[in-house]
Amino acid sequence: MHAIETYELTRAFGDRVAVDHLTLAAPRGAVFGFLGPNGAGKTTTVRMLAALIAPTSGSAVIEGNRLGVSDQEIRRRVGLLTESPGLYDRLSARQNLVFFARLYDLDAHRAEAQAERYLRMLGLWERRDDPVGGFSRGMRQKLAIARALSHDPPVLFLDEPTAGLDPEAARTVREFIKELRTEGRTIFLTTHNLPEADELCDLIAVFRTRLLRIGAPATLRAELFGRGTRVQLAGDDAAFLHVARNLAFVHAAEVAGDTLHVALDDPDDQNPHLVRALVEAGAAVRYVEAREHSLEDVYLQLVRGGEATA
Amino acid sequence: MNKALVILQKEWLELRGERTLLLTLIIPPLILTLMPLVVISAIGRTPDEDTRQLGAVVADPAFAGLSERELGQAVLGKQFGLLFLLMPLLVPSVIASYSIVGEKTNRTLEPLLATPVRTWELLLGKCLASLIPAIAITWTTALIFVLALRLVVVSDRVYQVIVSGSWVLLLLLSAPSLALIMVAATVAISGRVNDPRSAQQIAAVVVVPLLALFFAQLIGVLVLSPLLAIIAGAALAFLAALALGGANVLFERENILTRWS
Repeated sequence: MHAIETYELTRAFGDRVAVDHLTLAAPRGAVFGFLGPNGAGKTTTVRMLAALIAPTSGSAVIEGNRLGVSDQEIRRRVGLLTESPGLYDRLSARQNLVFFARLYDLDAHRAEAQAERYLRMLGLWERRDDPVGGFSRGMRQKLAIARALSHDPPVLFLDEPTAGLDPEAARTVREFIKELRTEGRTIFLTTHNLPEADELCDLIAVFRTRLLRIGAPATLRAELFGRGTRVQLAGDDAAFLHVARNLAFVHAAEVAGDTLHVALDDPDDQNPHLVRALVEAGAAVRYVEAREHSLEDVYLQLVRGGEATA
Repeated sequence: MNKALVILQKEWLELRGERTLLLTLIIPPLILTLMPLVVISAIGRTPDEDTRQLGAVVADPAFAGLSERELGQAVLGKQFGLLFLLMPLLVPSVIASYSIVGEKTNRTLEPLLATPVRTWELLLGKCLASLIPAIAITWTTALIFVLALRLVVVSDRVYQVIVSGSWVLLLLLSAPSLALIMVAATVAISGRVNDPRSAQQIAAVVVVPLLALFFAQLIGVLVLSPLLAIIAGAALAFLAALALGGANVLFERENILTRWS
């Protein structure tokens, strides 16, 4: 069962198409990374999925509720962290949370309880009665996350949750997102922080007006760059290049510096054979490690290449 | 309805922290209340023969038989009485413009519209937040005026001319509708401008018909009667309903959200 499903979802503003025939599915309980450059249409997509703006065409179903048909129910079942925290500066942290919780149909008692729960969880309880206007950027962001959670929504849209935060605050937020994942919530995460997306996301969609690619981070790496192994040898690597190339499962092998780079399909199974062949040929193996491409490599490859595979 | 009350409560919590705004709400009504009392008191000591030539005096039988001292106070008092209809226009324009435009400057509109609050609940909460203080301030200052007037008028007849049944009726029936019209105008305009002052300035156009009423009475074209007060009240209530409906239509969540970002 998917928490979020879109089919050919499109939104145009006049002649400008912001989101073009987006089709995707986010499994329930997953952290779904939605990556794309500035102006790619990410915020427009989130606004459509949160029933804030209507699509021009196409459809979406959020937690079983069809967009445009059950918008009120969608709003009840999603929490939204907007790009800017958007808090009432003259109200206290507690008043901000209680106000929003009550708009999400919680009675006064439960709204207070939820406010206390999340203020404690995010380390803001001691400042609960202070006006939010005096809060730091990190505190405001944490409070905005608490607001998005105040009605315990099964789906959470987080737009750049760690943007502008100092490393410590960013780490707190990341840890909190990991904790939310264990509670079974579906998290739709928009971010420019690629290491963060790599760390948190089960599934990633790279998007620039259109969906460029979707998959698990490891799958995207494998699809774009293949898998491989780096072998560092003591001595002349070039002398053993032909040994690697002669193995049937090796697609390619080359030497860079003192390291032998070998492209193969299944390092888990094939590395032992590779190492054995090299050792039997007389090579002295120092290190063997997976040849990893960063998510940044994947992202740049897709965005710059404009590769379109929906 | 419950959510409208939640919004109302939030608006007032925010308002409590806006000291400058609170002063803006309190000082002008106080001046509009005290200034007429001072002027009426002063005019009672300096009678003017020319007052009898005023159109208002000629046209309105209520002024018949008054001495020159009484006449000066009665004419001015009746005119000042109309100024109390400015209060329900003044107060909500200040609160409503800050209330709507403030959501933009705080960037709170998007999280607010992401909740399951309906547009009418949002607008009702914001309207009530402006309307209740507007009516309260109008009627309270009018009460202060009525009570203090007894101390400055030269006779009971002057008091009866100023605090007439027609004036009381007009104030009771028209103040809520006038406040609603102003709130609706401010809400509709606030969705299209970027700062509270612009919204107030544009909404101030609503004051023009009231000034026309003021001068019409002064030159004797219009004589306030109970029937006229009831007709004015009913007409304003109709206009208020139209204005609220219009504000609800003009407050397009999606357009406001995408334009304000």
